Amino acid sequence: MTRIAIDVANLHVQFGAFRALTDLSLTIFYGEVHAIIGPNGAGKTTLLDVISGLTRPRSGTVMLDGAQDLAHQSDTAIARAGVRRKFQKPSVFMALTVAENLDIGAGAARSPARIAEIADLIGLSDLLDRQAGTLAHGQKQWLEIGMVLAAHPRVLMLDEPVAGLTDAETGRTAALIRRLRAPDRAIVVVEHDMDFVELIADRVTVLHEGRILFEGAMADARRDPRVIDVYLGR
Amino acid sequence: MQYLAKSLVQALVLLCALGGAQQAQAYDHAAITDAACGDAASSAEAARLIVTGAGDATADDLAWARSMVTATLERTLACSTGRPPVLSLRNRAAYDTAAAMLTLLAAPEPDARTAALRTLSRKPEQTPAAVLDRATAAERDPKLKAALAEFAQLADLGSPDLARRGRAISHLADAPSTRVATQLATLRADPAYVADAGFRTTVEAAITRVDRWMLVGQVLSMLYNGLSFASILFMSAVGLAVIFGLMGVINLAQGEFIMMGAYGTFLVQQGLRAVAPGLVEWYLPIAIIPVFLVTAGIGVLLEVGLIRHLYKRPLMSLLATWAVSLFLVNLVRVVFGTQNLQFDTPFYVRGGIAVVGDFIITWNRLFAIGFAGLSLAGTWLLLRRTPFGLNVRAVTQNRDMAACVGIATRRVDMLAFGLGSGLAGLAGLALSPLYNVNPQMGTNFVIDSFMVVVLGGVAALEGTVLAALGIGQLNVLVEPFYGAVAAKVIVLLLTIAFLQWRPEGLFALQGRRR
Amino acid sequence: MNRLFNDRLFTTVLALLAIGVVVLVAMPGAISPYMVNATGQLAAFALLAVSLDLIWGYAGVLSLGHGLYFALGGYVVAMHLLKHAMAVTGKVPDFMQFMGWSEFPFYWSGFEHFGYAAVMAVVLTILLAGACGYVSFRSRVGGVYFSIITQAFVYVAMLLMFRNDTGFGGNNGMTGFSVVFGFDMADPAVTRGLAAVSLLVLVVALVGCRSLVTSRFGRLVIACRDDEARLRSLGYGTLPIKLGVWCLSAVLAAIAGFLYVPQVGIINPRLLSPDVSLEIAVWVAIGGRGALSGAVIGAILVNGVKFWLSSRAPELWPFILSGLVVLVVLVFPNGLLDLGRWRPRLIATPSVVKRT
Repeated sequence: MTRIAIDVANLHVQFGAFRALTDLSLTIFYGEVHAIIGPNGAGKTTLLDVISGLTRPRSGTVMLDGAQDLAHQSDTAIARAGVRRKFQKPSVFMALTVAENLDIGAGAARSPARIAEIADLIGLSDLLDRQAGTLAHGQKQWLEIGMVLAAHPRVLMLDEPVAGLTDAETGRTAALIRRLRAPDRAIVVVEHDMDFVELIADRVTVLHEGRILFEGAMADARRDPRVIDVYLGR
Repeated sequence: MQYLAKSLVQALVLLCALGGAQQAQAYDHAAITDAACGDAASSAEAARLIVTGAGDATADDLAWARSMVTATLERTLACSTGRPPVLSLRNRAAYDTAAAMLTLLAAPEPDARTAALRTLSRKPEQTPAAVLDRATAAERDPKLKAALAEFAQLADLGSPDLARRGRAISHLADAPSTRVATQLATLRADPAYVADAGFRTTVEAAITRVDRWMLVGQVLSMLYNGLSFASILFMSAVGLAVIFGLMGVINLAQGEFIMMGAYGTFLVQQGLRAVAPGLVEWYLPIAIIPVFLVTAGIGVLLEVGLIRHLYKRPLMSLLATWAVSLFLVNLVRVVFGTQNLQFDTPFYVRGGIAVVGDFIITWNRLFAIGFAGLSLAGTWLLLRRTPFGLNVRAVTQNRDMAACVGIATRRVDMLAFGLGSGLAGLAGLALSPLYNVNPQMGTNFVIDSFMVVVLGGVAALEGTVLAALGIGQLNVLVEPFYGAVAAKVIVLLLTIAFLQWRPEGLFALQGRRR
Repeated sequence: MNRLFNDRLFTTVLALLAIGVVVLVAMPGAISPYMVNATGQLAAFALLAVSLDLIWGYAGVLSLGHGLYFALGGYVVAMHLLKHAMAVTGKVPDFMQFMGWSEFPFYWSGFEHFGYAAVMAVVLTILLAGACGYVSFRSRVGGVYFSIITQAFVYVAMLLMFRNDTGFGGNNGMTGFSVVFGFDMADPAVTRGLAAVSLLVLVVALVGCRSLVTSRFGRLVIACRDDEARLRSLGYGTLPIKLGVWCLSAVLAAIAGFLYVPQVGIINPRLLSPDVSLEIAVWVAIGGRGALSGAVIGAILVNGVKFWLSSRAPELWPFILSGLVVLVVLVFPNGLLDLGRWRPRLIATPSVVKRT
């Protein structure tokens, strides 16, 4: 039996008159890569925003390990609880070096060995002294994954990790994510790229207009007529 | 029944008095002249005779009395002794009063009558009711007639007849003002106030009534002043808010655009004086279009030459716009000097209508308020009902997306900056009849305008309007009690407290934070 | 240690300043008293610029009201000097004669002791800056909003100090500082001493700030500037980081004011004008923000020109200053440091500072 990492229940999020998420319930398990897909405006990033504390839901709960409700905690507290997130737009500290970025990401877990390990994992070992602002787009994406990874998070959320990457870079990222899968870690990936999702995901949730349209295996999702209708068929 | 009888008796007494007066009327020219030539006491008696007779004297008698009194005052009176009498100080005053009364009754020129009435107003109780009634009945000039009515009340207030006084008091209380309040307050020292309970009650009731209306007037007057200040703030801040919402740039030179608007208005006035002196009175409406175009044009130049290159560096744009403001202030200082500009005050911004108490709807403030109202309507229509406004709102909400759907965002920025600068220029025009115009004037408005933007947010015009009203009123409300400095301190502290509650201002853009 | 001094420009500036201290102390008469005094004032301005650079260049938070803390330090030292002068000479300060007071207001008590005044300068600054910073950073007020609010603060403070009944000299300010530590202010040796102390404090502050910004805390400050949301969602509370740098910066500004006022011999509320605070930002922008040496160079260069011009054509200064700002903003986004790196571009984009 897999353990539940995050249990989202009856989430409602509203921006003015726009209902971004409506009565959304979702379970994320340890040891799995859980992909969240859906067309633009489906509420994917909003869901990550709620889990990481950037957006307050109107109602609903986000339970971590069945004990801690993240829905009303600050982004800092949530990060300290071990829930880390990579943003859609690569967000690294431009003026600092790769090593310094990783050092800050690791926080209390920082050590030269940990930084070297992470740099190796994300393939930036040779660029430790480079200023992050001078990295290529794909390298920034990997660096940010490395930063959120460095502190041994329990839940790792990646918002469009392969947006704007070349096919080769996408392949490397997919391999990296597969390697990150661990029994005591849950990985959530928000992505558009179906082939990429098929490569990495153990479980897929399809969102549409703030509601769950489908949940299950990627192969099944591609056969589901509703999913085809709103998303794949376009 | 008893009341009726009492009234009847009063009427009879009044009639007898009038009849008695009638008999003593016709001036005895020789007797009066003799008396005037006599010693101080008899001279005073002559004056008294003239005064008491003036109410019913024939026109000829009045003319005679007038020349006789004038002659006495000018020491040209032909006396049997051969020498004109010397007037004592006290008698001179009595003859002055008599002369004023006769002038009021007989002079053909309204100016002379006005002057005479002013002389009499110093001691209203000296003028007999008959003279006053006669003057009122004969008066054709509406202004003088009103002045006479007011004078009559004043005279009644000092009249020995308590009923008459009572009527005068309630009349006075009908038109409350600071002057009325003082007049009523002095009645508390009147012997009748102590002696007569009825009189005391009348006075107290009148004072209470006047105080109440004075308070209403004060409150209205404060609200009115606040509204006019808010109007200027709004016009200055709306440009800031639109520009900030659109480009994330705060224009520290906004105050200088106000200043340039005021100077532009001044130039239009001077230009009209040189070219078309007949139109000088109309310089304010004539200046609207040129001032808007010139300040908007300078704004566009500023945007194209400087601001455009700083959109990604809003903090640097603060420095750049400050440099522009420094330049403009010093340029104007060199060209025009540092002293306040002298503006004409055309008739349509002069004076006002008294409403209640000391509250006067002054035209100059109404001009600013109306002007801001029109600007608000214009801006609202522009932003909500035109393709340009749609573009502005689109770029404000999502610049990249707007660019993707083909909106020329740079053009929108440029025009919006021009609009904001033009509105600030119009604010300068609207405030020129109200505030001092000098090179430093911008500083007085710019900090308050920032607070309006911070408080109102940038998403909606309503926010700017509400915040301008709030800050404008707060400034004016606090000022009389704690001073202008405290008003600024309180506005700042409240704004910061407000930001703790709503960091994005009253009206925030809705959407994801990141 | 080598990280401290691996920036050549920084080391050069530091060395020049240290030489200045030595010349002032060891070679009396080498420099004219006027130049000695000017040097001391420039050192105070440079320290002020360093304080602003710390918060703007490194934390990305632009204060347009740093004159508030500068003036606070200045007012506190002025209070000390006036009480000290009265204790020594028995002369009642001008502003009290003007107000018809024979006794100091109660909040002046204790200021005759230098130690008390020095501690008060720091404590009051931390209280004031802490309060302003806390309410702003807590509600995540940043960028342009923060700059505007700091400017409003300094403006309000100016209006307050212009009032004569506050007991701080009002409109005319405070002047007549005749004695310092029992020595006659007019003595050239005192002038030299004050200038030397100012330079020395600048050197110490530079080394301290440099070690701060190259430390891990300094990297967190830079991270906070580059992407505050990212830092928060890595589990760091950014409020203490920002508040810490903010208060440190304010204290440095207050120390600069504390050094500056004895050397000019007067303080009045015009120091609190928003224009003065903006000028500080201009020194830093011209010198190059995000580099402590740039702030020093900018402050000394701009004020050097201003001093030189003040006796020749003071009316030209605003035009030159505004021209300089536009030039720097459009052509040298990183200030004069761009000149050294030969990177001027027409209509430039900045390399590291991102939109805040």
